[in-house]
Amino acid sequence: MRNSQEQALQSLIDDLRQRAAEAEETLAAIRDGSVDAVVVGGEGKDEVLVIGDDASAFRNFMEAMEPGAVAVDSAGRLLYSNARFRQIFAEDWDRLKGKLLSEILPGPASQLIGRLVSPDSHDAAPVSVSFLERGVERNYLVSARPVHLGTVRGFAVTFSDLTERVRAEAAERAQRIANAIIASANEAVIVCDRTLTITHANFAAEALSTEKLVGTRLDAAIPLKFPDATGILEIGELVESSLAGTPLRSIEAYAPMSPGARDVLVSAAPLNISDDGPEGCVLTLVDLSQRKKDERQMHLLMRELDHRVKNTLALVLSISKRTAASEETLEGFQGSFSGRIEALAATHNLLAGASWESLSLRQIFSAEVSPYTETSSDRINITGADLSLYPRAAIALGLIFHELATNATKYGALSAETGSIDLEIHPKTDAPYVQVTWTEKDGPPVKSFSRKGFGHTVIARSLSYSPHGGTTLDFEPTGVICRIRIPVSDVA
Amino acid sequence: MSTEEASTRKLILYVAGETPKSLAAISNLERICREHLPGKYRIEVIDLKKNPQLAREHKIVAIPTLVRELPIPIRKIIGDLSDEQKVLINLKVE
Repeated sequence: MRNSQEQALQSLIDDLRQRAAEAEETLAAIRDGSVDAVVVGGEGKDEVLVIGDDASAFRNFMEAMEPGAVAVDSAGRLLYSNARFRQIFAEDWDRLKGKLLSEILPGPASQLIGRLVSPDSHDAAPVSVSFLERGVERNYLVSARPVHLGTVRGFAVTFSDLTERVRAEAAERAQRIANAIIASANEAVIVCDRTLTITHANFAAEALSTEKLVGTRLDAAIPLKFPDATGILEIGELVESSLAGTPLRSIEAYAPMSPGARDVLVSAAPLNISDDGPEGCVLTLVDLSQRKKDERQMHLLMRELDHRVKNTLALVLSISKRTAASEETLEGFQGSFSGRIEALAATHNLLAGASWESLSLRQIFSAEVSPYTETSSDRINITGADLSLYPRAAIALGLIFHELATNATKYGALSAETGSIDLEIHPKTDAPYVQVTWTEKDGPPVKSFSRKGFGHTVIARSLSYSPHGGTTLDFEPTGVICRIRIPVSDVA
Repeated sequence: MSTEEASTRKLILYVAGETPKSLAAISNLERICREHLPGKYRIEVIDLKKNPQLAREHKIVAIPTLVRELPIPIRKIIGDLSDEQKVLINLKVE
Protein backbone atom coordinates (compact mmCIF):
# COMPACT_ATOMS: atom_id res chain seq x y z
CA MET A 1 0.00 0.00 0.00
CA ARG A 2 2.72 2.31 1.05
CA ASN A 3 4.72 1.23 -1.90
CA SER A 4 1.98 2.25 -4.35
CA GLN A 5 1.58 5.62 -2.62
CA GLU A 6 5.31 6.21 -3.03
CA GLN A 7 5.10 5.27 -6.68
CA ALA A 8 2.19 7.67 -7.27
CA LEU A 9 4.07 10.41 -5.48
CA GLN A 10 7.18 9.75 -7.51
CA SER A 11 5.16 9.87 -10.69
CA LEU A 12 3.65 13.16 -9.66
CA ILE A 13 7.08 14.56 -8.89
CA ASP A 14 8.37 13.38 -12.29
CA ASP A 15 5.40 14.98 -14.02
CA LEU A 16 5.91 18.23 -12.15
CA ARG A 17 9.61 18.20 -13.04
CA GLN A 18 8.75 17.56 -16.65
CA ARG A 19 6.26 20.42 -16.66
CA ALA A 20 8.68 22.73 -14.88
CA ALA A 21 11.33 21.91 -17.47
CA GLU A 22 8.84 22.61 -20.25
CA ALA A 23 7.81 25.87 -18.66
CA GLU A 24 11.43 26.87 -18.35
CA GLU A 25 12.10 25.97 -21.93
CA THR A 26 9.04 27.93 -23.08
CA LEU A 27 10.11 31.01 -21.17
CA ALA A 28 13.62 30.74 -22.55
CA ALA A 29 12.23 30.45 -26.09
CA ILE A 30 10.08 33.53 -25.62
CA ARG A 31 13.00 35.43 -24.10
CA ASP A 32 15.46 34.59 -26.86
CA GLY A 33 12.92 35.29 -29.62
CA SER A 34 12.63 31.71 -30.88
CA VAL A 35 8.86 32.01 -30.97
CA ASP A 36 6.66 34.80 -32.22
CA ALA A 37 3.26 33.80 -30.83
CA VAL A 38 1.85 32.48 -27.56
CA VAL A 39 -1.40 30.88 -26.52
CA VAL A 40 -3.18 32.64 -23.73
CA GLY A 41 -6.24 31.35 -21.95
CA GLY A 42 -8.93 33.40 -20.42
CA GLU A 43 -12.41 32.56 -19.25
CA GLY A 44 -11.93 29.05 -20.55
CA LYS A 45 -11.21 30.30 -24.06
CA ASP A 46 -7.77 30.05 -25.61
CA GLU A 47 -6.44 32.76 -27.86
CA VAL A 48 -3.26 33.20 -29.95
CA LEU A 49 -1.29 36.36 -29.39
CA VAL A 50 1.37 37.36 -31.95
CA ILE A 51 4.50 38.83 -30.38
CA GLY A 52 5.89 42.02 -31.88
CA ASP A 53 4.37 44.46 -34.36
CA ASP A 54 1.23 43.61 -36.20
CA ALA A 55 2.46 42.76 -39.69
CA SER A 56 -0.93 43.29 -41.33
CA ALA A 57 -0.32 47.00 -42.01
CA PHE A 58 3.03 46.13 -43.57
CA ARG A 59 1.37 43.46 -45.69
CA ASN A 60 -1.37 45.82 -46.82
CA PHE A 61 1.26 48.34 -47.84
CA MET A 62 3.20 45.71 -49.79
CA GLU A 63 0.02 44.49 -51.45
CA ALA A 64 -0.69 47.98 -52.77
CA MET A 65 2.79 48.37 -54.24
CA GLU A 66 3.08 48.30 -58.00
CA PRO A 67 6.44 46.49 -58.14
CA GLY A 68 6.65 42.87 -57.09
CA ALA A 69 7.53 42.77 -53.39
CA VAL A 70 8.42 40.10 -50.88
CA ALA A 71 9.44 39.99 -47.27
CA VAL A 72 12.10 37.42 -46.44
CA ASP A 73 13.80 36.45 -43.23
CA SER A 74 17.56 36.50 -42.80
CA ALA A 75 17.79 33.09 -44.50
CA GLY A 76 16.00 34.43 -47.58
CA ARG A 77 12.78 32.55 -46.74
CA LEU A 78 9.57 34.07 -48.06
CA LEU A 79 7.42 35.49 -45.28
CA TYR A 80 5.09 37.41 -47.51
CA SER A 81 4.69 38.25 -51.20
CA ASN A 82 2.37 40.67 -52.88
CA ALA A 83 0.08 39.94 -55.81
CA ARG A 84 2.48 41.31 -58.42
CA PHE A 85 5.26 39.01 -57.23
CA ARG A 86 2.90 36.04 -57.35
CA GLN A 87 1.90 37.10 -60.84
CA ILE A 88 5.53 37.27 -61.97
CA PHE A 89 6.14 33.70 -60.90
CA ALA A 90 2.60 32.47 -61.61
CA GLU A 91 2.37 30.82 -58.21
CA ASP A 92 -0.17 30.81 -55.38
CA TRP A 93 0.96 32.04 -52.03
CA ASP A 94 0.38 28.58 -50.57
CA ARG A 95 3.09 27.25 -52.86
CA LEU A 96 5.43 30.14 -52.26
CA LYS A 97 5.26 30.69 -48.53
CA GLY A 98 8.24 29.51 -46.55
CA LYS A 99 10.25 28.80 -49.69
CA LEU A 100 13.70 30.22 -50.08
CA LEU A 101 14.13 32.92 -52.72
CA SER A 102 16.87 30.76 -54.22
CA GLU A 103 14.30 28.01 -54.80
CA ILE A 104 12.05 30.36 -56.73
CA LEU A 105 14.46 32.45 -58.75
CA PRO A 106 16.55 31.10 -61.62
CA GLY A 107 20.25 30.53 -60.87
CA PRO A 108 22.00 33.73 -62.01
CA ALA A 109 19.27 36.02 -60.65
CA SER A 110 19.20 34.04 -57.43
CA GLN A 111 22.93 34.57 -56.85
CA LEU A 112 22.70 38.31 -57.46
CA ILE A 113 19.68 38.78 -55.23
CA GLY A 114 21.13 36.39 -52.65
CA ARG A 115 23.91 38.91 -52.07
CA LEU A 116 21.35 41.63 -51.41
CA VAL A 117 19.66 39.69 -48.64
CA SER A 118 22.74 38.23 -46.99
CA PRO A 119 23.23 39.31 -43.36
CA ASP A 120 26.50 41.09 -44.19
CA SER A 121 24.97 43.23 -46.95
CA HIS A 122 24.72 46.85 -45.97
CA ASP A 123 22.57 48.94 -48.26
CA ALA A 124 23.77 47.00 -51.28
CA ALA A 125 23.09 48.75 -54.58
CA PRO A 126 20.09 47.46 -56.56
CA VAL A 127 20.85 44.74 -59.09
CA SER A 128 19.46 44.29 -62.56
CA VAL A 129 18.26 40.78 -63.36
CA SER A 130 16.34 39.15 -66.14
CA PHE A 131 14.40 35.93 -66.30
CA LEU A 132 11.64 34.32 -68.28
CA GLU A 133 8.10 35.16 -67.32
CA ARG A 134 5.67 32.87 -69.13
CA GLY A 135 8.29 32.29 -71.80
CA VAL A 136 9.08 35.98 -72.32
CA GLU A 137 12.27 37.51 -71.00
CA ARG A 138 11.63 40.38 -68.62
CA ASN A 139 14.02 42.68 -66.81
CA TYR A 140 13.78 43.77 -63.20
CA LEU A 141 15.65 46.12 -60.95
CA VAL A 142 15.81 44.39 -57.59
CA SER A 143 16.54 46.24 -54.37
CA ALA A 144 16.46 45.08 -50.76
CA ARG A 145 16.11 46.99 -47.49
CA PRO A 146 16.31 45.55 -43.95
CA VAL A 147 12.99 45.33 -42.06
CA HIS A 148 11.68 43.98 -38.75
CA LEU A 149 8.73 41.65 -39.00
CA GLY A 150 7.55 40.82 -35.52
CA THR A 151 10.49 39.26 -33.77
CA VAL A 152 12.25 38.56 -37.05
CA ARG A 153 14.87 40.62 -38.84
CA GLY A 154 14.67 40.29 -42.56
CA PHE A 155 14.50 42.17 -45.81
CA ALA A 156 11.86 43.76 -47.96
CA VAL A 157 12.79 42.97 -51.56
CA THR A 158 11.18 44.81 -54.46
CA PHE A 159 11.16 43.83 -58.13
CA SER A 160 10.64 46.89 -60.36
CA ASP A 161 9.73 45.90 -63.90
CA LEU A 162 12.15 47.57 -66.32
CA THR A 163 11.20 45.45 -69.30
CA GLU A 164 9.50 48.18 -71.27
CA ARG A 165 12.28 50.64 -70.52
CA VAL A 166 14.95 48.09 -71.46
CA ARG A 167 13.03 47.24 -74.61
CA ALA A 168 12.65 50.91 -75.47
CA GLU A 169 16.37 51.48 -74.88
CA ALA A 170 17.23 48.40 -76.94
CA ALA A 171 14.90 49.58 -79.70
CA GLU A 172 16.41 53.04 -79.60
CA ARG A 173 19.91 51.59 -79.73
CA ALA A 174 18.93 49.26 -82.57
CA GLN A 175 17.46 52.24 -84.38
CA ARG A 176 20.68 54.20 -83.91
CA ILE A 177 22.72 51.24 -85.16
CA ALA A 178 20.41 50.77 -88.14
CA ASN A 179 20.64 54.47 -88.96
CA ALA A 180 24.42 54.35 -88.65
CA ILE A 181 24.59 51.30 -90.94
CA ILE A 182 22.34 52.95 -93.50
CA ALA A 183 24.28 56.21 -93.29
CA SER A 184 27.68 54.54 -93.64
CA ALA A 185 26.71 52.45 -96.68
CA ASN A 186 28.38 53.65 -99.85
CA GLU A 187 25.40 52.57 -101.90
CA ALA A 188 22.11 54.42 -101.81
CA VAL A 189 19.87 52.79 -99.19
CA ILE A 190 16.19 53.64 -98.96
CA VAL A 191 13.64 52.21 -96.54
CA CYS A 192 9.97 52.63 -97.31
CA ASP A 193 6.81 51.44 -95.59
CA ARG A 194 4.06 49.37 -97.15
CA THR A 195 2.50 52.46 -98.68
CA LEU A 196 5.79 53.28 -100.47
CA THR A 197 6.41 56.27 -98.21
CA ILE A 198 10.12 56.70 -97.61
CA THR A 199 11.05 56.44 -93.92
CA HIS A 200 14.86 56.34 -94.16
CA ALA A 201 17.34 57.41 -96.81
CA ASN A 202 21.08 57.80 -96.60
CA PHE A 203 23.29 60.47 -98.12
CA ALA A 204 23.95 58.47 -101.30
CA ALA A 205 20.19 58.04 -101.76
CA GLU A 206 19.52 61.75 -101.30
CA ALA A 207 21.95 62.36 -104.17
CA LEU A 208 19.57 60.46 -106.48
CA SER A 209 16.86 63.06 -106.10
CA THR A 210 16.54 66.78 -106.11
CA GLU A 211 13.96 66.62 -103.32
CA LYS A 212 14.10 65.56 -99.67
CA LEU A 213 13.32 61.85 -99.70
CA VAL A 214 11.98 61.03 -96.23
CA GLY A 215 8.23 61.46 -96.14
CA THR A 216 7.71 61.39 -99.89
CA ARG A 217 6.53 58.51 -102.03
CA LEU A 218 9.28 56.36 -103.46
CA ASP A 219 7.84 56.19 -106.99
CA ALA A 220 7.48 59.97 -107.12
CA ALA A 221 10.86 60.77 -105.57
CA ILE A 222 12.97 58.41 -107.68
CA PRO A 223 11.08 57.23 -110.76
CA LEU A 224 12.91 54.38 -112.44
CA LYS A 225 12.73 52.93 -115.91
CA PHE A 226 13.38 49.23 -116.26
CA PRO A 227 14.55 47.42 -119.39
CA ASP A 228 11.73 45.48 -121.06
CA ALA A 229 13.43 42.17 -120.29
CA THR A 230 12.85 42.58 -116.55
CA GLY A 231 9.07 42.65 -116.98
CA ILE A 232 8.94 45.39 -114.35
CA LEU A 233 7.24 48.65 -115.19
CA GLU A 234 7.88 50.77 -112.14
CA ILE A 235 9.65 50.74 -108.79
CA GLY A 236 6.41 50.08 -106.87
CA GLU A 237 6.23 46.61 -108.41
CA LEU A 238 9.66 45.87 -107.03
CA VAL A 239 8.51 46.78 -103.53
CA GLU A 240 5.27 44.81 -103.84
CA SER A 241 7.16 41.74 -105.01
CA SER A 242 9.50 42.03 -102.08
CA LEU A 243 6.62 42.49 -99.61
CA ALA A 244 4.97 39.39 -101.07
CA GLY A 245 8.07 37.41 -100.13
CA THR A 246 10.08 37.53 -103.34
CA PRO A 247 13.13 39.71 -102.78
CA LEU A 248 14.61 40.95 -106.04
CA ARG A 249 18.30 41.46 -106.57
CA SER A 250 20.42 43.37 -109.00
CA ILE A 251 17.76 44.63 -111.39
CA GLU A 252 19.18 47.12 -113.84
CA ALA A 253 17.26 50.35 -114.12
CA TYR A 254 17.61 53.88 -115.32
CA ALA A 255 16.84 56.90 -113.15
CA PRO A 256 16.03 59.62 -115.72
CA MET A 257 14.97 62.24 -113.15
CA SER A 258 18.05 61.86 -110.95
CA PRO A 259 20.74 64.49 -111.22
CA GLY A 260 22.99 63.32 -114.04
CA ALA A 261 20.38 60.71 -115.09
CA ARG A 262 22.00 57.57 -113.82
CA ASP A 263 22.03 53.86 -114.51
CA VAL A 264 21.44 51.96 -111.28
CA LEU A 265 21.33 48.38 -110.03
CA VAL A 266 18.33 47.99 -107.73
CA SER A 267 17.76 45.34 -105.04
CA ALA A 268 14.70 45.13 -102.82
CA ALA A 269 14.30 43.08 -99.66
CA PRO A 270 11.44 42.93 -97.16
CA LEU A 271 11.88 44.77 -93.87
CA ASN A 272 11.02 42.18 -91.22
CA ILE A 273 10.91 43.66 -87.74
CA SER A 274 8.47 41.25 -86.09
CA ASP A 275 6.79 37.98 -86.98
CA ASP A 276 3.77 39.85 -88.32
CA GLY A 277 5.06 40.00 -91.89
CA PRO A 278 7.19 42.65 -93.59
CA GLU A 279 6.52 46.20 -92.48
CA GLY A 280 8.24 47.75 -95.43
CA CYS A 281 11.01 47.32 -97.90
CA VAL A 282 14.73 48.05 -97.97
CA LEU A 283 16.05 49.12 -101.36
CA THR A 284 19.65 49.50 -102.35
CA LEU A 285 20.60 51.33 -105.51
CA VAL A 286 24.11 50.94 -106.84
CA ASP A 287 25.17 53.68 -109.21
CA LEU A 288 26.19 52.02 -112.45
CA SER A 289 26.97 55.20 -114.39
CA GLN A 290 30.73 54.80 -114.23
CA ARG A 291 30.51 51.06 -114.83
CA LYS A 292 28.23 51.62 -117.82
CA LYS A 293 30.59 54.23 -119.17
CA ASP A 294 33.50 51.83 -118.71
CA GLU A 295 31.55 49.08 -120.46
CA ARG A 296 30.72 51.35 -123.37
CA GLN A 297 34.35 52.39 -123.57
CA MET A 298 35.44 48.76 -123.48
CA HIS A 299 33.05 47.75 -126.27
CA LEU A 300 34.16 50.74 -128.28
CA LEU A 301 37.78 49.82 -127.75
CA MET A 302 37.15 46.21 -128.68
CA ARG A 303 35.54 47.26 -131.95
CA GLU A 304 38.22 49.85 -132.51
CA LEU A 305 40.97 47.37 -131.77
CA ASP A 306 39.52 44.85 -134.19
CA HIS A 307 39.23 47.55 -136.83
CA ARG A 308 42.73 48.82 -136.21
CA VAL A 309 44.35 45.41 -136.18
CA LYS A 310 42.78 44.69 -139.56
CA ASN A 311 43.83 48.10 -140.87
CA THR A 312 47.31 47.74 -139.46
CA LEU A 313 47.75 44.29 -140.97
CA ALA A 314 46.55 45.64 -144.33
CA LEU A 315 48.92 48.58 -143.95
CA VAL A 316 51.85 46.33 -143.05
CA LEU A 317 51.06 44.15 -146.04
CA SER A 318 50.89 47.18 -148.29
CA ILE A 319 54.12 48.65 -146.88
CA SER A 320 55.80 45.29 -147.40
CA LYS A 321 54.66 45.00 -151.03
CA ARG A 322 55.36 48.61 -151.93
CA THR A 323 58.73 48.67 -150.19
CA ALA A 324 59.71 45.48 -151.99
CA ALA A 325 58.64 47.04 -155.30
CA SER A 326 60.63 50.22 -154.72
CA GLU A 327 63.82 48.73 -153.30
CA GLU A 328 66.34 47.06 -155.50
CA THR A 329 68.25 45.09 -152.88
CA LEU A 330 67.30 42.89 -150.00
CA GLU A 331 69.32 45.08 -147.61
CA GLY A 332 67.51 48.17 -148.94
CA PHE A 333 64.19 46.44 -148.42
CA GLN A 334 65.12 45.38 -144.88
CA GLY A 335 66.21 48.92 -143.92
CA SER A 336 63.18 50.68 -145.39
CA PHE A 337 60.66 48.10 -144.27
CA SER A 338 62.01 47.99 -140.69
CA GLY A 339 62.06 51.79 -140.54
CA ARG A 340 58.45 52.06 -141.63
CA ILE A 341 57.23 49.32 -139.30
CA GLU A 342 59.12 50.96 -136.43
CA ALA A 343 57.51 54.30 -137.34
CA LEU A 344 54.13 52.61 -137.26
CA ALA A 345 55.00 50.95 -133.93
CA ALA A 346 56.12 54.24 -132.40
CA THR A 347 52.74 55.85 -133.10
CA HIS A 348 50.97 52.71 -131.89
CA ASN A 349 52.89 52.84 -128.63
CA LEU A 350 51.89 56.42 -128.11
CA LEU A 351 48.26 55.64 -128.88
CA ALA A 352 48.24 52.64 -126.55
CA GLY A 353 49.59 54.87 -123.78
CA ALA A 354 46.77 57.32 -124.46
CA SER A 355 44.07 54.60 -124.41
CA TRP A 356 43.61 55.09 -128.17
CA GLU A 357 41.88 58.35 -127.55
CA SER A 358 44.03 61.14 -128.98
CA LEU A 359 47.69 62.09 -129.36
CA SER A 360 49.59 65.33 -129.32
CA LEU A 361 51.10 66.26 -132.67
CA ARG A 362 54.36 67.26 -131.00
CA GLN A 363 54.55 63.83 -129.36
CA ILE A 364 54.11 62.11 -132.74
CA PHE A 365 56.75 64.35 -134.26
CA SER A 366 59.21 63.64 -131.45
CA ALA A 367 58.62 59.88 -131.62
CA GLU A 368 59.25 59.77 -135.37
CA VAL A 369 62.09 62.27 -135.69
CA SER A 370 64.05 61.53 -132.50
CA PRO A 371 65.75 58.40 -134.01
CA TYR A 372 67.47 60.77 -136.47
CA THR A 373 68.26 63.83 -134.44
CA GLU A 374 67.83 65.45 -131.06
CA THR A 375 64.39 67.04 -131.30
CA SER A 376 65.23 69.57 -128.61
CA SER A 377 68.35 70.77 -130.45
CA ASP A 378 68.68 73.95 -132.47
CA ARG A 379 68.16 71.95 -135.63
CA ILE A 380 64.51 71.38 -134.89
CA ASN A 381 62.25 74.35 -134.48
CA ILE A 382 58.57 73.78 -133.74
CA THR A 383 56.15 76.67 -133.63
CA GLY A 384 52.42 76.95 -133.14
CA ALA A 385 49.97 75.55 -130.64
CA ASP A 386 50.01 71.80 -130.27
CA LEU A 387 47.15 69.78 -131.72
CA SER A 388 45.40 66.76 -130.31
CA LEU A 389 44.79 64.23 -133.06
CA TYR A 390 42.50 61.22 -133.23
CA PRO A 391 44.17 57.86 -133.95
CA ARG A 392 43.52 57.75 -137.69
CA ALA A 393 45.28 61.04 -138.32
CA ALA A 394 47.94 60.26 -135.71
CA ILE A 395 49.00 57.04 -137.51
CA ALA A 396 49.03 58.73 -140.90
CA LEU A 397 51.04 61.67 -139.58
CA GLY A 398 53.47 59.30 -137.87
CA LEU A 399 54.18 57.59 -141.20
CA ILE A 400 54.52 60.96 -143.01
CA PHE A 401 56.96 62.34 -140.41
CA HIS A 402 58.95 59.08 -140.64
CA GLU A 403 59.26 59.33 -144.42
CA LEU A 404 60.14 63.03 -144.29
CA ALA A 405 62.74 62.45 -141.56
CA THR A 406 64.24 59.48 -143.44
CA ASN A 407 64.48 61.55 -146.62
CA ALA A 408 65.96 64.52 -144.74
CA THR A 409 68.55 62.25 -143.16
CA LYS A 410 69.54 60.69 -146.47
CA TYR A 411 69.37 63.71 -148.77
CA GLY A 412 67.98 66.77 -147.00
CA ALA A 413 68.60 69.08 -144.05
CA LEU A 414 69.59 66.36 -141.61
CA SER A 415 72.22 64.98 -143.99
CA ALA A 416 74.39 68.07 -143.40
CA GLU A 417 75.56 69.39 -140.07
CA THR A 418 74.16 72.88 -140.70
CA GLY A 419 70.70 71.90 -141.87
CA SER A 420 67.61 72.38 -139.79
CA ILE A 421 63.88 71.70 -139.90
CA ASP A 422 61.06 74.08 -139.02
CA LEU A 423 57.72 72.57 -138.12
CA GLU A 424 54.98 75.13 -138.08
CA ILE A 425 51.59 74.18 -136.68
CA HIS A 426 49.13 76.64 -138.13
CA PRO A 427 46.17 77.79 -136.11
CA LYS A 428 42.68 76.45 -136.85
CA THR A 429 40.78 78.45 -139.44
CA ASP A 430 37.43 78.07 -141.14
CA ALA A 431 39.08 75.63 -143.52
CA PRO A 432 38.09 71.95 -143.15
CA TYR A 433 41.68 71.12 -142.30
CA VAL A 434 44.52 72.29 -140.10
CA GLN A 435 47.81 72.87 -141.84
CA VAL A 436 51.23 71.84 -140.61
CA THR A 437 54.28 72.85 -142.60
CA TRP A 438 57.55 70.95 -142.64
CA THR A 439 60.32 73.22 -143.95
CA GLU A 440 63.91 72.13 -144.41
CA LYS A 441 66.68 74.69 -144.80
CA ASP A 442 70.44 75.07 -144.84
CA GLY A 443 70.84 71.59 -146.17
CA PRO A 444 72.57 70.51 -149.36
CA PRO A 445 71.07 71.63 -152.68
CA VAL A 446 67.80 69.88 -153.22
CA LYS A 447 67.04 67.53 -156.00
CA SER A 448 63.62 66.14 -156.55
CA PHE A 449 63.09 62.50 -155.67
CA SER A 450 65.02 60.73 -158.35
CA ARG A 451 62.04 58.51 -158.71
CA LYS A 452 58.84 58.60 -156.82
CA GLY A 453 59.26 55.64 -154.53
CA PHE A 454 57.00 54.33 -151.86
CA GLY A 455 58.18 57.01 -149.41
CA HIS A 456 56.69 59.59 -151.69
CA THR A 457 53.47 57.61 -151.92
CA VAL A 458 53.22 57.37 -148.14
CA ILE A 459 53.63 61.14 -147.81
CA ALA A 460 51.17 61.86 -150.58
CA ARG A 461 48.44 59.41 -149.70
CA SER A 462 48.44 58.72 -145.97
CA LEU A 463 46.02 61.54 -145.18
CA SER A 464 43.96 61.04 -148.33
CA TYR A 465 41.43 58.90 -146.51
CA SER A 466 39.49 62.21 -146.21
CA PRO A 467 38.85 64.72 -149.02
CA HIS A 468 40.13 67.40 -146.63
CA GLY A 469 43.38 65.65 -145.84
CA GLY A 470 46.56 65.38 -147.87
CA THR A 471 50.02 66.80 -148.46
CA THR A 472 51.80 68.99 -150.95
CA LEU A 473 55.49 68.28 -151.36
CA ASP A 474 57.73 70.94 -152.90
CA PHE A 475 61.40 70.57 -153.61
CA GLU A 476 62.48 74.19 -153.22
CA PRO A 477 66.18 74.93 -153.80
CA THR A 478 66.50 75.90 -150.14
CA GLY A 479 65.04 72.66 -148.97
CA VAL A 480 62.01 70.39 -148.95
CA ILE A 481 58.71 71.99 -147.98
CA CYS A 482 55.86 69.68 -147.13
CA ARG A 483 52.45 71.24 -146.44
CA ILE A 484 50.36 68.75 -144.52
CA ARG A 485 46.58 69.10 -144.25
CA ILE A 486 44.99 67.30 -141.37
CA PRO A 487 41.20 66.91 -141.66
CA VAL A 488 39.67 69.08 -138.96
CA SER A 489 37.34 66.20 -138.07
CA ASP A 490 40.40 64.34 -136.75
CA VAL A 491 41.52 67.21 -134.56
CA ALA A 492 40.18 66.89 -131.01
CA MET B 1 2.11 -2.47 -34.41
CA SER B 2 4.39 -3.36 -37.28
CA THR B 3 8.08 -2.43 -37.33
CA GLU B 4 7.45 0.03 -40.09
CA GLU B 5 4.70 1.75 -38.16
CA ALA B 6 6.87 1.80 -35.05
CA SER B 7 9.68 3.59 -36.89
CA THR B 8 7.33 6.21 -38.42
CA ARG B 9 7.50 9.59 -36.74
CA LYS B 10 4.20 11.24 -36.22
CA LEU B 11 4.96 14.91 -35.97
CA ILE B 12 2.55 17.69 -35.14
CA LEU B 13 3.67 21.25 -35.78
CA TYR B 14 1.70 23.97 -34.07
CA VAL B 15 1.87 27.29 -35.89
CA ALA B 16 0.16 30.70 -35.64
CA GLY B 17 -1.04 31.54 -39.13
CA GLU B 18 1.78 32.90 -41.25
CA THR B 19 4.00 34.50 -38.69
CA PRO B 20 7.65 34.53 -39.76
CA LYS B 21 8.61 31.87 -37.20
CA SER B 22 5.68 29.68 -38.22
CA LEU B 23 6.65 29.82 -41.88
CA ALA B 24 10.28 29.15 -41.00
CA ALA B 25 9.32 26.19 -38.80
CA ILE B 26 7.20 24.60 -41.55
CA SER B 27 9.92 25.09 -44.11
CA ASN B 28 12.70 23.81 -41.83
CA LEU B 29 10.73 20.76 -40.72
CA GLU B 30 9.84 19.73 -44.26
CA ARG B 31 13.44 20.07 -45.33
CA ILE B 32 14.89 18.16 -42.37
CA CYS B 33 12.40 15.31 -42.75
CA ARG B 34 12.91 15.13 -46.48
CA GLU B 35 16.65 14.94 -46.09
CA HIS B 36 16.98 12.77 -42.96
CA LEU B 37 13.76 10.75 -42.65
CA PRO B 38 12.69 10.03 -46.18
CA GLY B 39 9.39 8.09 -46.08
CA LYS B 40 9.49 7.75 -42.31
CA TYR B 41 7.46 10.67 -41.14
CA ARG B 42 3.99 12.07 -41.06
CA ILE B 43 3.55 15.77 -40.50
CA GLU B 44 0.39 17.42 -39.33
CA VAL B 45 0.39 21.20 -39.24
CA ILE B 46 -2.12 22.73 -36.86
CA ASP B 47 -2.84 26.43 -37.21
CA LEU B 48 -3.75 27.63 -33.74
CA LYS B 49 -4.88 30.96 -35.14
CA LYS B 50 -7.75 29.11 -36.70
CA ASN B 51 -8.25 26.53 -33.96
CA PRO B 52 -6.76 27.86 -30.70
CA GLN B 53 -8.55 25.23 -28.64
CA LEU B 54 -6.35 22.52 -30.17
CA ALA B 55 -3.45 23.89 -28.10
CA ARG B 56 -4.84 22.15 -25.04
CA GLU B 57 -4.14 18.58 -26.13
CA HIS B 58 -0.41 19.07 -25.93
CA LYS B 59 -0.46 22.05 -23.60
CA ILE B 60 1.05 24.35 -26.18
CA VAL B 61 2.02 27.81 -24.95
CA ALA B 62 4.73 29.09 -27.32
CA ILE B 63 4.36 28.98 -31.11
CA PRO B 64 5.81 27.42 -33.15
CA THR B 65 6.17 24.15 -31.31
CA LEU B 66 6.83 20.72 -32.77
CA VAL B 67 5.44 17.69 -30.98
CA ARG B 68 6.78 14.23 -31.69
CA GLU B 69 3.79 12.11 -30.82
CA LEU B 70 5.25 8.85 -32.02
CA PRO B 71 7.28 7.05 -31.05
CA ILE B 72 6.53 7.63 -27.41
CA PRO B 73 7.46 9.28 -25.17
CA ILE B 74 6.15 12.56 -26.52
CA ARG B 75 8.82 15.18 -27.23
CA LYS B 76 8.41 18.91 -27.77
CA ILE B 77 10.73 21.28 -29.62
CA ILE B 78 9.98 24.97 -29.30
CA GLY B 79 11.08 27.47 -31.95
CA ASP B 80 11.45 27.75 -35.72
CA LEU B 81 13.51 24.52 -35.97
CA SER B 82 16.46 26.34 -37.50
CA ASP B 83 18.83 24.38 -35.22
CA GLU B 84 18.95 21.22 -37.28
CA GLN B 85 21.09 19.23 -34.82
CA LYS B 86 18.70 19.95 -31.97
CA VAL B 87 15.76 18.80 -34.10
CA LEU B 88 17.53 15.62 -35.20
CA ILE B 89 18.46 14.71 -31.60
CA ASN B 90 14.89 15.20 -30.44
CA LEU B 91 13.59 13.15 -33.34
CA LYS B 92 16.22 10.54 -32.38
CA VAL B 93 17.66 10.45 -35.83
CA GLU B 94 21.26 10.86 -34.69
